[in-house]
Amino acid sequence: MFQGQSGWFCGSVSQELKQFWVAEGGTISDSREAEFLFSSDASHPDTLRIYQSLEYIEDNATVFHAYYLSAVAKAEIKNSVALGHFILPPECLQEEIRRKIGSFIWEQDQHFPVEEDDEV
Amino acid sequence: ATEDCSKMLKYRCSGCIAVGKSLNSRNFSKLLHSCQYQCDRHKVIVEAEDKYKSELRKSLICNKKILLTPRRRQRLSNES
Ligand SMILES: [Zn+2]
Repeated sequence: MFQGQSGWFCGSVSQELKQFWVAEGGTISDSREAEFLFSSDASHPDTLRIYQSLEYIEDNATVFHAYYLSAVAKAEIKNSVALGHFILPPECLQEEIRRKIGSFIWEQDQHFPVEEDDEV
Repeated sequence: ATEDCSKMLKYRCSGCIAVGKSLNSRNFSKLLHSCQYQCDRHKVIVEAEDKYKSELRKSLICNKKILLTPRRRQRLSNES
């Protein structure tokens, strides 16, 4: 599924999800090189650094919630999960966004059985 | 999980339906910006992020100016 793709993981992402990425053929690299940026917590210092980077300001770095990976793990057709639903905006914007569109997709999905829930 | 699939189908823009290998953290924001018909969800997120980015950009430019103003640079080198 992730063959030949490189990912960066915030310290907030659980080991299980990282292992899943690697098991599916993904590689792990640093935040400048990686094609995918995953985080489980927008207020984690690792992720804050992304939000303050020039790449982010210039629209070259979108952070995705690592919940995407567990959605992929659970999906029957793995490449049917739309990555676009898992944008993780900076913490300070989340309240405003929530007020307008309701909870985020990774919050809505919390009631589904999740095995790797030791984080959060 | 079929329930949240149908939920997803309600909102559709290129940010919603784009799947597959071509999409990643590097091009997603540009893809959304180039999409004429953003769904409500993506529109709100893009607007909020754009506002945040433009504020950051402003403060970054300010910082740079302070560092690069010749007079200040001169003063700094005189002090050292
Ligand atoms: Zn959309």
